[in-house]
Amino acid sequence: MTTLSRRALLGMAGLSAAAGIGIPLGRGLAAPTSTGQLLRSRAPRPPLFQRRLTVPPVLRPTRSAGDTDHYEIVQTAVRAEILPGLTTELWTYNGSFPGPTIHSTRGRTVRIRHVNRLPVPTVVHLHGGRTPAADDGYPIDFVHPLDMAQHVGHHMGGDVSHGERTYTYPLDQRAATLWYHDHRMDFTGPSVWRGLAGFHLHHDDEEAALGLPAGVPLMIADRSFDRDGSLLYPARAGGHGVTGDYVAGVLGDVMLVNGVPWPTHPVGRGTYRFRLLNAANARRLSVRLDPPPPTGLVRIGTDGGLLAAPIRHDHLELAPAQRFDILVDFSAYAPGTVVTMVNDFDIGAMGQIMRFVVGDERLAPFAVPDRLSTVTPPRASDAVVTRRFDFRTGEIAGHDGWLVGQQPFHPDVIAAHVKLGTVEIWQLNADFHHPVHLHLSPFQVLGRGSGGPGPYDAGWQDTIDLRPGEQAKILVHFDGYPGKYVFHCHNLEHEDMAMMANFVAT
Amino acid sequence: MTPRTWPAGLFRLTTTVAAVLACNQAVFAGQFLSGTYVALRLHRDGSTYTVAAVASTVLAAVLWRRLGRGPAWPIPATMALVALTAVQTFLGYRLVLAVHIPLGVTVIMLLIALTVAGWRRGPVRSASVRGLIASGRERGR
Ligand SMILES: [Cu+2]
Repeated sequence: MTTLSRRALLGMAGLSAAAGIGIPLGRGLAAPTSTGQLLRSRAPRPPLFQRRLTVPPVLRPTRSAGDTDHYEIVQTAVRAEILPGLTTELWTYNGSFPGPTIHSTRGRTVRIRHVNRLPVPTVVHLHGGRTPAADDGYPIDFVHPLDMAQHVGHHMGGDVSHGERTYTYPLDQRAATLWYHDHRMDFTGPSVWRGLAGFHLHHDDEEAALGLPAGVPLMIADRSFDRDGSLLYPARAGGHGVTGDYVAGVLGDVMLVNGVPWPTHPVGRGTYRFRLLNAANARRLSVRLDPPPPTGLVRIGTDGGLLAAPIRHDHLELAPAQRFDILVDFSAYAPGTVVTMVNDFDIGAMGQIMRFVVGDERLAPFAVPDRLSTVTPPRASDAVVTRRFDFRTGEIAGHDGWLVGQQPFHPDVIAAHVKLGTVEIWQLNADFHHPVHLHLSPFQVLGRGSGGPGPYDAGWQDTIDLRPGEQAKILVHFDGYPGKYVFHCHNLEHEDMAMMANFVAT
Repeated sequence: MTPRTWPAGLFRLTTTVAAVLACNQAVFAGQFLSGTYVALRLHRDGSTYTVAAVASTVLAAVLWRRLGRGPAWPIPATMALVALTAVQTFLGYRLVLAVHIPLGVTVIMLLIALTVAGWRRGPVRSASVRGLIASGRERGR
C-alpha cells in the first residue's frame, strides 16, 4: 500500500463520515412551519389569480318566532367545478363550500335543523360557540343518514339520531367569528377536507356601535386533487386515520379561498373588514399583503371576539381553526394596484393566497376606533388549580398516533373535572405543532416558555398555536353549561388519531 | 501464525459506521424537536441500526484480538457500549428524556473515542497515525 493510498483511505474515511452526518444535518436545517406531509395533486394545478372570489351565501331563517330564529341545512354531496374543466365531489352544507354563512345576534336563540343526506354519519360542532353539551356536537353524537339507519345497532354512539337533528344555540356570548364544521370521532379530517365547514358570524350591540365596514369572510384552506378532479385524501384502508407519514397532518398543494383556487377580488379605495379563518387540516399560515398597506393589517378581533384595542401587524400567523378579524385600508393604493395576499410559511404557489385589485371607487373613510370593546380577563391569581397536559406523539394499538397526557381519546375517560364559574391555569406542552382547541371555554394566553404571550395571543381565544417543544400557559374561564366537552388538537389528522380528551363541567 | 491486518480494518470500519449512525441520532433528534415529523421515524429506525452497528464492533474487536493480535480492551469496551445503547433505546421509547439526552451525548463521545483509538492503533501497534502511515510506507515498498 502506498503512502498516498493510505492517506487517501484516511481522508476518504473522514470525508464519508463527515458526509454521513453532514447530509442529514443539512437536509433538515430549515425547521418546518407546519407539522404535516405534503400530498401532491395528480390533477394539473389551476392557474393563479384567474377566478373571482366568491362569498358564501347568507342563510336566511325559515321562520322566526319569539326570540328564536329557525334555520334549515341539508348536508348533501354535490359536484362543483373547482379546477377548470374538472368536477369535484364535495360534501356540503346546503350544496355550497364553504357552507352558507349564518348571522346571529346576542339575545336571539338559533335553532338549526340539519338533515343528513350524505353517505356517512355526521356531527355538527359550532366552533367557538358557548353551547350546552347536548348540542355541542359531541364526537359520538352521530346523525346517521336515513339509509344507514338499519345498521345503527352495530355502531358505538352517544346521543345518536337518524336522518336529521336540530341543534339549539343560545349564543349568550360576545360577538365573534365562529365557524361550524363536522366533528365526527375519528373522521373529522376527511369530512372537513371534503367540504363540511362554514362561517357563523355572531353579532352584539358592542360590535354594532362601532359601525365597522361590512365584512368579507375569507376561509383559507389547502386541498389536493386527483387526476379526475376528485379530492385526494390518504385515508387508511378499512379504518380511521391516515397512512404513513400523513399521520403528521395532510398538507394540500392547492390554496382555496372560499372554495376558489387563488382567487382575485376587486376592492374600492377604502377600508374593508376581513374575517380570516384558517380551515386547513394541518397547514399553518403566515399572512401578509404585498405591497403592504401603509396602515398595516389592523387586527380588531380574534377567536373570542373583539379585542379591547386594535393591534397593527405587518403579518399574521394563523394555526388551523384560528380566526382573525382584520381591517385593511386600501385607500393609499393607486387605482389598478394589484395587492397579493401571500403566505410566508411556504414558497411557490402555496406561498400565494389571493389577490386584491384596487379600483377607482372611493369608499367613505373609516377611522379605526382606539377602543373596540370591553375585555375583562380573569386574573391568574384567581385560578383554583393548575393542570398540565402533554400533547405528544405515541403508539395506539400498534400504529402511530397522538396522545393527550399519554392517553388516546376515549369517550369514557375524563381528563379533568372543572367547576363552572371558576378559572384554571392549564399548562400545555407540545412536541410538534399542535393547535389546541377547548370547547365551551374561552381562554387567555398567560405565556409561552419562560416569556410572556406571543404577538397574536391577545384577547379571548379558543385555539392556541403551540409550536414544537413549546410549553404554554393559558388561563381558562369555565362558564356556561354543565356536561362533558372535549378539548383537542385541531390538526385534524392528529384529532382523528386520538389527540382529544374530555373535561366534565359541573 | 502471522497476525492478519484485515481485522483491524474491520474494527475501524464498524466503529466508524457506528459513530456516524450515533451522530445522526443526534441530528434526527434535533430535527424532530424542531418539528420535522419524519425525523422522529428516522430517529426510531436509526436506533435499531445504531445498536446493530455497535454489536458488530464487538465481533470486530474479538476478531482483531484473535486474528490480528489486537489489544484486549476493545472487547469489554464494545460490549459495554452495546449495553449502553440498548439502555439508551429503551429510555428513548419510554420518553425518559432527562436521562436519554445526556446518555446519548455520552454514547456518542465514547463511540468517537473508540473510533479514534481504532484508527490510531495500527495493525502492528504503531503508537500514532504518523506511525501507522510510516509503517504503511514501509510495507508499501
Ligand atoms: Cu396536533
